[in-house]
Amino acid sequence: MRVSSLMFSQNYLPQLNQLEQSQNQLQGEASSGLSLTQPEDNPAMMDQVLSLQSQSSANAQYQKNITQLQSAAAVAANPINQIQSLVSQASQIALSAGGANGGSADLSADADTVEGYVKSILQFANSTDGSGNYIFGGSNTTTPPFAATYDSSGNITAVTYQGNTNVQSGQIAPNVSLTTQIPGANTTGSGPQGLLVDSGSGVDVFSDLISFQQKLASGNTASLTSTDATKLEADDNHLIGQISANSVVQSTLESASTNNTNVGSTLSSQISTDTGADLATTLSKLTQTQTAYQAALESGVLVMNLSILQYIG
Amino acid sequence: MGATSLSAEQQASEITGNNLANVNNPTYSREQLVMQSALPVDTPIGQEGTGVDASSIQQFRDAYVDSQVVSQTSVTSSYTAQQSTLQNAEIYLDEQLQAGSATDSTTNSPNGLSANISNLFNQFSGLTTSNTQAAAGTTIADAQNLAKQFNQVSASLSNIQGNTNQSVQTGVAAANQDLATIAGLNQQIAVATASGGTADALVDQRQTTLQNLASYVNFSSSTESNGSVDVSIGGVSMVAGVTTPDQLQTFTNSSGNLMVQAQNAGTPLTITGGSIGGNITARDGALATLQSGLDAVASNLITQVNTVYNASTGENFFTGADASDIAVNSSVGASDLNTAVSNDGSLASNLANLATTPISSLKNQTLQASYDSTVSGLGDSIDIATGQLNSNQTVAQMLSNQQSSVSGVNTDEEMTNLIEFQKAYEASAELISTVSNMLETVIDMAYES
Repeated sequence: MRVSSLMFSQNYLPQLNQLEQSQNQLQGEASSGLSLTQPEDNPAMMDQVLSLQSQSSANAQYQKNITQLQSAAAVAANPINQIQSLVSQASQIALSAGGANGGSADLSADADTVEGYVKSILQFANSTDGSGNYIFGGSNTTTPPFAATYDSSGNITAVTYQGNTNVQSGQIAPNVSLTTQIPGANTTGSGPQGLLVDSGSGVDVFSDLISFQQKLASGNTASLTSTDATKLEADDNHLIGQISANSVVQSTLESASTNNTNVGSTLSSQISTDTGADLATTLSKLTQTQTAYQAALESGVLVMNLSILQYIG
Repeated sequence: MGATSLSAEQQASEITGNNLANVNNPTYSREQLVMQSALPVDTPIGQEGTGVDASSIQQFRDAYVDSQVVSQTSVTSSYTAQQSTLQNAEIYLDEQLQAGSATDSTTNSPNGLSANISNLFNQFSGLTTSNTQAAAGTTIADAQNLAKQFNQVSASLSNIQGNTNQSVQTGVAAANQDLATIAGLNQQIAVATASGGTADALVDQRQTTLQNLASYVNFSSSTESNGSVDVSIGGVSMVAGVTTPDQLQTFTNSSGNLMVQAQNAGTPLTITGGSIGGNITARDGALATLQSGLDAVASNLITQVNTVYNASTGENFFTGADASDIAVNSSVGASDLNTAVSNDGSLASNLANLATTPISSLKNQTLQASYDSTVSGLGDSIDIATGQLNSNQTVAQMLSNQQSSVSGVNTDEEMTNLIEFQKAYEASAELISTVSNMLETVIDMAYES
């Protein structure tokens, strides 16, 4: 084929441009460590990577949620344990007082002890978290869940619940939620169980303790065993159930956290695999391209400088 | 004989000089003087030659290769326009992956809609465990940011659409200019060749104009017996000899986009080549698909979130209909959201679960998946356009080489010819000198006798 003088530069310049483009692309890969940066680089992979990224960020959010829930469950565990301990002790007093032939002095001392329990339980029922939010008031976290009424002697005669039964479930995985919140009381008969008052199970810790305390104070030992001890035992069993439920929640959260960490690692690894550049290969290709570019430049200059004009005297 | 020879060699040298002067002119077709033997005369001992005549100037062109180059120009220009338009859209979509930080190896595209859609649902998820005014405020802010980004991307895509319309307008004007130029050159060529002359420079110019026209629009052409080139676009005659029966005109279609029609015939034309064709294809194809995909995601985000939020509060969370006008309801503030989540223990979960909810109007994809596939769809379109462009550029280069092989000037070749003509000129001059000396000798002999 006949070759014109312009043909060389018309072919040479696009070839140089191609080599420069390859150099730039490989250099970009080497410096960023990414083989895929834009949708046009690999559309199908980009779709996958975007999906993995959103899963990864959701997973990170779930981990934050789990951490929050773990903290909330731990904060709730202590007062529940304390309340259960006090109710259990009150139940023992009911059993012993009911069967005792003690005189009014024992009953009076027991009445004072039980009064102390009621006031302590009230305090524990109005526990707050580190941010000052009441933890047993349902969604009402700014008002003390329980308010007491006192007689002229300073004894609690009634305790009313000021919270609600709205509890928040925290997301720990796609479409999986879990709650650590326990409302202080639930008198609706449906929904989450109340910690200290629950009409569904017939539990009313404050009412039972106050009634028991008043009987002790008045020296009335009638049906202490059959009624008060029985009620307090039921209250105690209810609280033991709450402790157990809290343990289960904490255990579930621990498992969820471990699983979440594993999922996060897997997603990160997958994203790296899909987008990461094989540096060894990239650098090798870059070196080859640079060598080809240099060779093209040198050979091009050689060819362009050759002409019959050099030999015409 | 000597004189005619001198003249012929001189003319040949001039033509060679013209070739050398145009060695770097890609639109120039080399020429060559065609010499033939002059008519012999009869002598008693037989016919005797009378030297050489310069009979014509031959221009080296291959009409078939020229037409192929024109066609290929149209194809390449179309893919160039498509690639450019779609890569522009890719920039504004801003789904560029970046490497993670030193402590976080996760690659992310932090600025894109994908990350921000994900972020919004993560915020809703966060409210399930940390429903504070501050957290609600952050959620509102992120929702506003997402809405704004939808607006910006939508506006950018509309801008690009407007730019392609402008390109179509500009292309039509330039194409009409070329059509008029071709008709004018047809006339000049006809006049020049009617008297038996040549119009090589005008033919070169016309070929250049045809290639330029092809960069705007695809057309078909035919050559008449008098050398005129007729051009028709979409079956409508645009250049017929020295006249332009019609020209291109833009009109606005029902979608508000510019299309092309024949001005006098009023016929809409289907333009598939050149930059006009490429811009129309990109605008009405991949770009429109991208815009509608974006609008579908935004529209369904509005609907889905509002359905959940409204069921709990009686108010809408978002306002607007699609990506161009989505916004957070101005009456929904941080305290409103905080209160709503407090009053309804399942509101935050229900909102968060929308992230994994398949939506029937999005082909049973989630919002995130629908958006991600819209992005990869754009990537596919760019990939295809780039692939087509690269392969067609290779073909264009090969055709250009073929054309150059026939019509291009080779310096070495011309210099060699120049030396030959120079030697021949010297020889002819020597002949004249020798004949002159011989005549002088004869004359001197006559004087002496």
